[in-house]
Amino acid sequence: MQLRSNFMDGCSFPLNGFEVILNRIKKLAPELHRVHFLHYLTCLYHDDYFGALENLRRFFDYSVGIGGFDITPVPSRSKGFERYETGLLCLGMLQFHFGHPKQALEVLTEAVRVSQQQSNDSCLAYTLATICTLSSEMGSSSTSGMLGTSYSPTATIGTSLYFKQQLFVLLREALKRAESLKLKRLVASNRLAMAKFDLMNVQRPLLSFGPKASMKLRTCPVTVCKQELRSCLHLVSEYGSESPTMTIEGAFSTAWLNNLRRPMGASVLSLDNGVGESSNAFQFCAQPSSIPRSVLQLVGSSYLVRATAWEIYGSASLARVNSLVFATCYLDASSSSDAALVHAKLIQHLATFQGYKDAFSALKVAEQKFLSISRPVILLLKLQLLHERALHRGNLKLALQLCNELGVLASPFNGVDNQLKIEASMRHARTLLAAKQYRQASEVAQSLFCLCYQFNMQVENASVLLLLAEIHKKSGNAVLGLPYALASLSFCQSFNLDLLEASAKVTLAELWLSLGTNHAKRALTLLHGAFPMVLGHGGLELRARARLIEAQCYLCEPNYSVVEDSEIVLDALKQASDEFEVLEYHEMAAEAFYLMAMVYNKLGQLEEREEASDSFKKHILALENPQEEEEEDEDEPVSEMLVEKN
Amino acid sequence: METDASDSEHVVPFQLQFDKPIASQVKIAEWNPEKDLLAMVTEDSKIMLHRFNWQRLWTISPGKSITSLCWRPDGKAIAVGLEDGTISLHDVEATEFQNNTGNSLVFEDRTPRFFPPAPRVPRTPGVVTSDASFMDDNEDSYRQLSNSSYQRFNILCSGDKDGSICFSIFGIFPIGKVNVHKFSVPVSNSDKTQHLLNASIYKVALSKDLCQLIVLFSGDLIESTAAASEADKVAGCGMHGLVLDTSVFGKRKNELHQLAQQASNIEDLTEVIRASLSVMSKQWTDAVQSFSQKFVSLDTLITDHALDSSPQEEFLSLLGGARTSPAVHQFLVNTLGEAGVKRVSKLVCGAGKELQRVVHDHLQPAAEIIAFRMGELRGLSRWRSRFQVIGLDETLVAHATEKSGMMLVQVERFMRVLTSVEQQFSNFFNWLLKCIKLLMQEPSDQLLPYNSELVVIFLKFLYNQDPVRELLDPSEVDHPVQADLETMQRVCDLVQFGGFSDTEYLRRTLAKEFQQMESSFKEAFLMPFTTISRKIHVVDLLPLFPLPSLPLSRSNVIPMSISYYEDDSEANENNFNDYICFRVPAESLSDDGNYIGIVRGFMHDQRNLKRGYSTLEAVLLSMPAGYNCADLSLYKDTQVVLLLNGMTNAPETPGDACMMIIQANELPFAPVSRSIDLSLWKMHHLQDSSACLQTENEKIRSIPYSVVAPLAVSATRGVACVFAARRRALVYILEEDEDEVLETEA
Repeated sequence: MQLRSNFMDGCSFPLNGFEVILNRIKKLAPELHRVHFLHYLTCLYHDDYFGALENLRRFFDYSVGIGGFDITPVPSRSKGFERYETGLLCLGMLQFHFGHPKQALEVLTEAVRVSQQQSNDSCLAYTLATICTLSSEMGSSSTSGMLGTSYSPTATIGTSLYFKQQLFVLLREALKRAESLKLKRLVASNRLAMAKFDLMNVQRPLLSFGPKASMKLRTCPVTVCKQELRSCLHLVSEYGSESPTMTIEGAFSTAWLNNLRRPMGASVLSLDNGVGESSNAFQFCAQPSSIPRSVLQLVGSSYLVRATAWEIYGSASLARVNSLVFATCYLDASSSSDAALVHAKLIQHLATFQGYKDAFSALKVAEQKFLSISRPVILLLKLQLLHERALHRGNLKLALQLCNELGVLASPFNGVDNQLKIEASMRHARTLLAAKQYRQASEVAQSLFCLCYQFNMQVENASVLLLLAEIHKKSGNAVLGLPYALASLSFCQSFNLDLLEASAKVTLAELWLSLGTNHAKRALTLLHGAFPMVLGHGGLELRARARLIEAQCYLCEPNYSVVEDSEIVLDALKQASDEFEVLEYHEMAAEAFYLMAMVYNKLGQLEEREEASDSFKKHILALENPQEEEEEDEDEPVSEMLVEKN
Repeated sequence: METDASDSEHVVPFQLQFDKPIASQVKIAEWNPEKDLLAMVTEDSKIMLHRFNWQRLWTISPGKSITSLCWRPDGKAIAVGLEDGTISLHDVEATEFQNNTGNSLVFEDRTPRFFPPAPRVPRTPGVVTSDASFMDDNEDSYRQLSNSSYQRFNILCSGDKDGSICFSIFGIFPIGKVNVHKFSVPVSNSDKTQHLLNASIYKVALSKDLCQLIVLFSGDLIESTAAASEADKVAGCGMHGLVLDTSVFGKRKNELHQLAQQASNIEDLTEVIRASLSVMSKQWTDAVQSFSQKFVSLDTLITDHALDSSPQEEFLSLLGGARTSPAVHQFLVNTLGEAGVKRVSKLVCGAGKELQRVVHDHLQPAAEIIAFRMGELRGLSRWRSRFQVIGLDETLVAHATEKSGMMLVQVERFMRVLTSVEQQFSNFFNWLLKCIKLLMQEPSDQLLPYNSELVVIFLKFLYNQDPVRELLDPSEVDHPVQADLETMQRVCDLVQFGGFSDTEYLRRTLAKEFQQMESSFKEAFLMPFTTISRKIHVVDLLPLFPLPSLPLSRSNVIPMSISYYEDDSEANENNFNDYICFRVPAESLSDDGNYIGIVRGFMHDQRNLKRGYSTLEAVLLSMPAGYNCADLSLYKDTQVVLLLNGMTNAPETPGDACMMIIQANELPFAPVSRSIDLSLWKMHHLQDSSACLQTENEKIRSIPYSVVAPLAVSATRGVACVFAARRRALVYILEEDEDEVLETEA
């Protein structure tokens, strides 16, 4: 596994030339079965999954009973059979990669059985960890029965809740096993898996009886932070005790020789011993690190989990900083998919906080950086950004096309790629909403809610509920929208989704306001309660929306007089319109400018009024002709981008 | 207590609870506003906390002379003013009160929901903590103070003898400072202004709604005109009262609360980082020093053997297997030996592990929480309509947020350097052990393996240099850290992905980064401080009585008391009436009378001014013959508790004194004009209309001792503590219907 990852992010090499060498080795030394494994890795690297599978199978066929597999993490290498379960493990992972969770689980279950038979504890621990990742990444429908065969006597019950509990037990089991075996790396990666689980799932006491057992469902961010993520960092100081010679001899020499070509890197092999050394003790810091790469990878990915956690919990600055920590300190050691992911996160952050212009120029750089393997992440991001922008600009045709593209990316198998599927239909519903097709939009959202409910995805449920509230609000049925918004709010509160909670509050305020002007005060209080969150961690859109509603609330309130205190409304409107303009969100920008013009009119400031109404006109025109804008896009028209991708 | 109350027949108004001897004379005494606890300061500067039944809870001695003491309104902490101008806060026993959870916040602090408890300052290893008395876990109680007790907003306000008044939220976050010397009050009907010289603040009292502050101080009132030609003239020196408009505290309570909550926590955590850095620096320097001490003999051995090389070259040739020079041989086998290597290895690697632990448990979590809290503050700073008023500046806070983010990255980089240095050291020692075994021709297969390339790196970069220490060293000497080109490039690339725009941070050491972060925080928090300070201004000045001798010495303290009472006549919002009560020194008045003065309505209240009510009023109260006012205190419902000393005390008798309560609002108050121009000391006019205090008509109880100054009265609990000159403490129950009070409490 480690070798595989090393291969994946090592320097690129041509497929054909390498294959020739491999074939030659196969011919010369047929008993050397490792070649098949190497071949499998090569195929994997070049995205040739079928070739990879074939080679892996071949490797098993030859190596069962002989033992040609020498990169097992097990220290004792005396027994012959123990390679088999390792092979099964690899096969299971590959199967999963293809989107065959059933087969993958079958194979992994077999691996568990064999390693139990052989009492190969470490392999068992690794297999358990793999099953955990596997089952956490896909839904329950296809797996619960499979899991039951080896772990639980009640194999047939397949409710998703039950499945989650099983996964939780499994994770704990895996963690315990790894801890008792003192496999530090595995402990760390299990802790990460645990953190991911806790992040998205409700903590449910496994044993809760009696009247005193709390029935409250909630996530527990403190445990995520303390027990899982922080303790994961201890790996960096503990790895030494696990295996003293993880570094490969010669790796540094290669680095030194590489450095010779560079102007200042040649310090190791240079002869001026002892001349400049007293002046600068920091040359050491510029040396390649001697910490094993796998350790760095694990520690680095804990920062990625942190960044994701903060995106969910709602702290924009910490999400960004954690991504930056990863990108600054761990990028060199990370796998390329992690690297692509962190760039995607940063670009997403740019898009929400600084507008599309910066985001797209960064995206361009990222696309050049990450070519084959990690393409899906970047592609997904691109579609997301394009869809978002099309929605804002009011180019609904393009938006619909883009969200269909997004849906195609997901695997067709039921229960796999649930996140992606949910996102695609979420975007679909939003596009329909923007097109004012309320009935269809709510149908899509309803079915989405059912899907989330089925797979017990509470976090997604909260945002689906909010979407439903939004649909009812736009369709002019605020009374119907209120319960949805409130439900979303309570979901958010128990799952600590603070940012989503803030936006639910903003929606709630809008709903109250649309119920009539006598609710303006209540709406304003709600809004002000959410303001620290919205302004601190919300993106441009949320911020601008909140400010626009604030202005509307003031204007609706009977006690408020524009003439006396116009500044408070104008200030809010100005900021809102600025932010909407950055987003090219024509519809809302037009609304802000409209209100602004009205206020200026009332104040008798005609010049400013004209200015605002001009801007209003500009945005209305842009909204009516969305096509023009796309064509203006200097370098890469959207249609072209789509063609290139296909 | 209840039985006592039942058989009191109103013959003697105040029930004596007990009469106890005390060890030393008490100079300050204050009742806890919430509980039956009495805090006292003795003449030898000890703070004692006693329960109502005189059971002592604790005693501490701050080591400096104490000048004042004050309870926090929630009764959970005391602030102690020390002679050197510092204020220290003490948490009373943390487990003592648990029942005060009513006031919920409008805005929640999210930090405790997402983070485990904040890290504490790491303990310096090797220093064994002495007995765990109260002072020793001062740190812990402070922690308690800063986390649990931010529920209620409060402002600690203090004045000093130089005329400065400081405001700090929760007593720990300074939010404003003004100096009475800076104020000038225009004299009505003229172009003259008055300002102050040599002011020494005597008492400050913030109104309950935080909107006004009454300051009593002694000083010289200087009258000056706008025209420069006329010289300033001293209008009068004596005791004055000043009303300051602090309505910014009242109006911006929520905003200030949030700001202080985040900012004071950030400051705490900055201290944690500072301490962590210094602990780490010290530990590592010690360890590496002992390493180089061990290896310095190799240099001398090399010169002794007349070799022209350095230790690194010798080691390298040993590693290369070319030759083993006699110097190295002698050093390894004889000087150092296997045991020596093991000892040094244990020392250096142990220090490395310890440093890593400090980073994990203290430095990193602290930096993370700081970044989180800074992010919250940035959100607040963007809410301009609310937070710009209190001076939270968007750009400054954004800058500080960036710095806190950089700090996190730097901590991570430091951790990597530290880990690899530790690894290099242990690898080097492994190699040395192996070499020694080989040189001594002993079997070496039991030893841990080593990596020879790492040995090369070690000799080249670490043998006589110490990057870890340099990274931790806060000295001013600026060594730019050399980052490898790839990282540099990566950071530059990151800028367009939204990374830190200041890419130079890679060249800074950890200590330097910390300094920059700290200064950016200071800058950001200074802005609210100056903004708030500017918003506090003077409303009115009232000269009370002249004082012949300035400044006041500690011995002739003038008893005075300020209190705010809710105005019952006003049914609507909380409307406060202020009462200032003071003893007029005998030498201040013309007829050497024995008076106390009561002033009310000093505060300006817009509503009252409109109604024409509650203009400034005052009354002089003449003491009964033969008695001298020892101390006084305002009590509830505009009552005044007076402590009177009999003047004809024979030295051998225990003396006689009495305590009485008078109803102040029934006294014949006379209006006093606010304008200053006519005559300065308005008390002189009141002398004619002064009321005489009759001992017969009031509630009075005689005390069989001669009493001394601190009279501690608790309005909420209805008790008074009187100190006799002969080291006795007497506690009286002022409330007749004590049972009712007990019931409402339960």
